Amino acid sequence: KWKGEGTTRNLENIVIGRCYDYIRIVNPAVGEKNCSQIWEAFKNAFINKDPCNILPKDYELFINLSLHTIPPNKSLFWENNQLLVNSFADRGRRYMSVGDTLFGFFGDFLNWCGQADSPGLDYESCPTTKECENNAVESFWRMASITYAQHSSGVIHVLLNGSAEGGAYPQPGFFADYEIPNLQKDKISQIVIWVVDDIEGPDIDSCGIHSVKILETRLKTLGYDVICTDNNKSVMFLLCLD
Amino acid sequence: MPLQQGSVRTRQRTVLLVGIVVLLAALVLAVVLASLLTHGRHEVSPQMLKWKDRGTTKNLQEVILGRCYNYITAEYPELGDKDCLKIWESLKDAFIYKNPCNITAEDYQPLMELASHPIPCNKSLFWSKTSDLAHRYTKSNQNFLTLEDTLLGYMADRISWCGDPSAPGINYESCPKRSECESNPGSVFWKMASKMFAEAACGVVQVMLNGSIEAGAFRSSSIFGSIEVFNLNPDKVSEVHIWLMQDIGGPQSESCSGRSIQRLISILEERNFKIICEDNYRPVQLLQCVHNPDHTDCRLCTNST
Repeated sequence: KWKGEGTTRNLENIVIGRCYDYIRIVNPAVGEKNCSQIWEAFKNAFINKDPCNILPKDYELFINLSLHTIPPNKSLFWENNQLLVNSFADRGRRYMSVGDTLFGFFGDFLNWCGQADSPGLDYESCPTTKECENNAVESFWRMASITYAQHSSGVIHVLLNGSAEGGAYPQPGFFADYEIPNLQKDKISQIVIWVVDDIEGPDIDSCGIHSVKILETRLKTLGYDVICTDNNKSVMFLLCLD
Repeated sequence: MPLQQGSVRTRQRTVLLVGIVVLLAALVLAVVLASLLTHGRHEVSPQMLKWKDRGTTKNLQEVILGRCYNYITAEYPELGDKDCLKIWESLKDAFIYKNPCNITAEDYQPLMELASHPIPCNKSLFWSKTSDLAHRYTKSNQNFLTLEDTLLGYMADRISWCGDPSAPGINYESCPKRSECESNPGSVFWKMASKMFAEAACGVVQVMLNGSIEAGAFRSSSIFGSIEVFNLNPDKVSEVHIWLMQDIGGPQSESCSGRSIQRLISILEERNFKIICEDNYRPVQLLQCVHNPDHTDCRLCTNST
């Protein structure tokens, strides 16, 4: 029916397990959370509805129940380099990317959708974003990105891929459309941009040119103190591992 | 008239005295009741044994089940179907309601059989005193697997559990340390899982050791030194590659020519394995360099890397 993969098998067990894993082991500092309630709120955002009509605000209760503080200076935004970011953030120990928050950890690398007039999850297929934008997964990440940006503070870092086709700073993109507009200016002291090229990859974008220049200008116009560095050494070492 | 006044005063005094006694009695009763009630609320399981290590991880069932399903669904779907519910039940049965100092290998046999799976050749990575580095390496390089990257290890990593003969059979307050008793649920589990991990290894195997600790990189008392080394199968394993990693800017306590390494090499050679030892294996060192990018040992990767 739809072109995308269906709901991940055993979704309920996986996400409830992840929720408890997070509050008991990954980041017990967030305190007590009701993981069953969080699952219910998550599910109610998209079941029994037209899978092409799910909006970010449908996840509001889910976010309210799973929200926790993001330590200042630990936010790491990114585009086109998810695996690298996961390595670099070290599961929240060096940085806390959106995937290292409880709400992000909950849904990372999973897929889900429901169907109209049925309380069940659709395991056969789910709509891709091309088929319809307002699908369950896309709206989830939009809401997660908005929330993540709203609760970030101190020095924030952005890791961009200088070898990505179409530019390091994609527009449209999550960072451009859902994160930058939701940054809280009075809580942010500085924005540090890292543009890193793939090893032996093309140097399509760098600080001060093309899409990165557009990003720097936009942030400076908004009144932020912005620094940009090419090929940050620490990150380069991670890339060398492959 | 003075007699009448006297009797009134006596009655008043009596009433006062009785009143004070009643008040005191009520106070004492209240204190006793309060202490009984709060005493009952704080002592969750007064009969449970008390130990020195942290207790069973809360929500153990949900965490184990979630990790099992996550592993077979999202991490290594090539594994095929494992019955996660059965796996959880077999883990629980291994320790629930048992004295946590009396756990045996037989207790874990059903779990080991249900959760074990084959390991591709040339991918086994053993480690000793290099946990953080070894696991960061396998997360960035899917070509290697530590025990904690197999289903059994993945489920149990950083978790603790132990039982107790009294209800509810699981002790969430404390669990025995190895120094209190060796046959505790955690130690027995990891010994068995390590033995099986070594038995399953084939082809070329790797081991990451720490060249910056004073006590020596290879120790016979470690799980690697006492169990894994002796359970490698010479009919399946052809070579052992030792990666001897020193902390960047840290003490260079031992290298491949060091005494404990020579001892390890002779143990392995006696069992007919071919050995290669490398000081500061470069790909792993690059990972260390992420945290020390400006150190002289960390020149950026070149074609020769």
